[in-house]
Amino acid sequence: MRLRFFGGKGGAGKTTLAAASALAEAEAGRRVLVVSTDPAHSLGDALGFSLRGRTRRVPTRRGVLHAVELDADRALGRWMARRRAAFRAIALHGTLLERREVDRLLRLALPGVDELIGLIEVMRLAGTRRHDTVVVDTAPTGHALRLLATPALLARIAEVLDGLYAKHRFLARHLRGEYRPDAADALIAELDDEARALTARLRDPTQTELVWVTLPEVLSLRETAAAVGQLAALGIDVTRVLVNQLTGNKEARRCPACAARRRSERAALAAISSKLAQRPLGVVLAQAREPRNLPSLRALARELAAAGRARAGAPGEWGIEQGSPRPRPPGRRPAARPTARQSRDWLNTLAPPGTRLLLFVGKGGVGKTTCAATAALALAARGGGAVLLVSTDPAHSLGDVLGHEVGDRPRAIPGAPSGLRVQEIDAQAGFHSWRAKHRDELEAALGGPGRAGMRVAFDGDVVRDLLDLTPPGLDELWSVRTLIAAISPPPAGGPRYRLVVVDTAPTGHALRMLAMPDIALAWVRELLALLLRYRQILRPGQLARDLVEISRDLRRFRALLRDGRATRAVLVSRAGHLPMRETERLGRSLRALRIGVSTLILNAMSAAEDRACPRCAEGARGVRPALRSTLDRLVAPAVAPPPRGVRALEAWGRRWTRLAG
Amino acid sequence: MIILDTLFIGGLRFVLEKLAAAVEAERDDDSALREELLAAQMRLELGEITETQFAAVEAELLRGIAEVRARREGEAPAPGALRVTGAEVTLEGDEGEVEPPARPARRRGAKARSPRRR
Repeated sequence: MRLRFFGGKGGAGKTTLAAASALAEAEAGRRVLVVSTDPAHSLGDALGFSLRGRTRRVPTRRGVLHAVELDADRALGRWMARRRAAFRAIALHGTLLERREVDRLLRLALPGVDELIGLIEVMRLAGTRRHDTVVVDTAPTGHALRLLATPALLARIAEVLDGLYAKHRFLARHLRGEYRPDAADALIAELDDEARALTARLRDPTQTELVWVTLPEVLSLRETAAAVGQLAALGIDVTRVLVNQLTGNKEARRCPACAARRRSERAALAAISSKLAQRPLGVVLAQAREPRNLPSLRALARELAAAGRARAGAPGEWGIEQGSPRPRPPGRRPAARPTARQSRDWLNTLAPPGTRLLLFVGKGGVGKTTCAATAALALAARGGGAVLLVSTDPAHSLGDVLGHEVGDRPRAIPGAPSGLRVQEIDAQAGFHSWRAKHRDELEAALGGPGRAGMRVAFDGDVVRDLLDLTPPGLDELWSVRTLIAAISPPPAGGPRYRLVVVDTAPTGHALRMLAMPDIALAWVRELLALLLRYRQILRPGQLARDLVEISRDLRRFRALLRDGRATRAVLVSRAGHLPMRETERLGRSLRALRIGVSTLILNAMSAAEDRACPRCAEGARGVRPALRSTLDRLVAPAVAPPPRGVRALEAWGRRWTRLAG
Repeated sequence: MIILDTLFIGGLRFVLEKLAAAVEAERDDDSALREELLAAQMRLELGEITETQFAAVEAELLRGIAEVRARREGEAPAPGALRVTGAEVTLEGDEGEVEPPARPARRRGAKARSPRRR
């Protein structure tokens, strides 16, 4: 069985290309499974079927194609149900906890569930129907990297469990004279074996193929180059880089907007080609219509097969003509004018006074980062207090959009309003430095001698292993922690932000982050209850004080998120059927989390005079559902190349308009 | 056998020292009261007590802490004035059966005595 992953920046076309690739392979006579591991699924949309968490057979001319959108919570529930007794045994023998307490802990929701169970579930699904090939459509870059790093995490978890159980084995051997491995040992061995097998499989190019999909634009290409490097560090080689939605010569000759787009695409490709030159590169031309049913996927698959034959080289060798029509002089162009009246006073619509938290959410690749940066610049220029612009997407692009380096500590950007600070959260680095600072304290609290001089909770080695573990869902946890710090009154002398503008991770993981306060609160309360119950022997001390504070912070933050006047979610979308459908689903999910959705930004709307071009017109067609929306709607015009740097963003922002009526 | 007993008595002595430390803490230190305060905060956070109940408990504990502080500033006993100086243990009957442990020395400056061994 072969595995083929499709990874890449959000909106690059992973899902569509994965579906096309799976369909083509099935119709070549093989048994194929295509599975999406992105919590924000759109595989069903691409295939033109409703999948809803069940495996469905897709009608093919030849071969067999199954499709499924992975439901991580259910998959983990099912996996856990069969192993709960073994987990319970380990916890009962390895800690002081009573059965009732252990059961309560085992019932709590886990953070990072998509990454934790994703690969295990893919392998289980692959095994059930004897597939020749399994095509995996992953979540956007940052979380795809976490998914592919899961084997290491599983191995560490097995180590921690093994340490917990060692005490029991030792006692059994000494009291009974012998020790017979039981279900708990089997679980530990299973996890360890699974981790080893997955690692070996992912690193073996004869079993695993990794296709990285990118758009021919600077942000997407930079993210690709970075991801290729990070994957190499995991020992995983990107088999092929696919440049998707390249503007073709035909469109470029006929349409000035497409010509400008193509020039900026070429410049972006030329700038990055040296970094990716060693990889086989393929090019897929933009389709005049969004592929969203089987016939259009077949057409795309033919193109994909042709792209497979293309090799690395200079952009000129990728079937792109060097000559192109003269650029239209830059200047004020009429912005999109779908049907309604427009107004330029969008800033107060977006963030009325009193807004504390402005969340930019949307499908990957719709331009969340560019829109969030533009809005933050305008909001900081409005004055009235400091504004923090912070990215919680583990694959950051704020620095690229602003044209200036941005790091884990909030910093000012040259040329930007003085009240603006910008930050890209680095969860790994932040967590590691926090852990280093609190290590002694945590070791003492969990494994140190308690009041009666006994080593109460765990053995020292187990505590060390536990602390070495990078918790699943760390990106979301750490983001919540950082946002809480940003909206809280400063401890001493730091800036107090009037407004925090958040550039979130693509849909699925933005939702995971917004659900995180509840998950974290449940864990914190459970730990507090345990510390309280065992306080006579455990000496809760600093750990308990910290937990009390964290619990208060989480409750305050949750209240803020649900306060419709303080927190406003801004949906960013492109016109088009697939993006609009995902945007509608996202709006519903946000409301289910009791987060108020206030505004819809229609990004990269093509100008009215470009609608003669079929590609430009396609973008405008999908806008109709948005026009029916009851939300405040802003229109951000399409520009090529996309705005980069403070001045270009500010100029672009001045061309945003508000749709009235 | 001797090794076992030595270990046992060593362990016992350790426990008794801890006890003595706890006794001293109750008398002179406000840490026990502070822990009570922390526990009340934990209960409040868990919703086991209301804000009003917490306020009452907090006031009571803060008064206690203030009293301890005032007393400490008044007499200021020398640190480490209370020490375990010995433990008396009698071992009789079958192996493994042990009399209840002797009480630790409580008087300040009690003379050290060696624990009896078999």
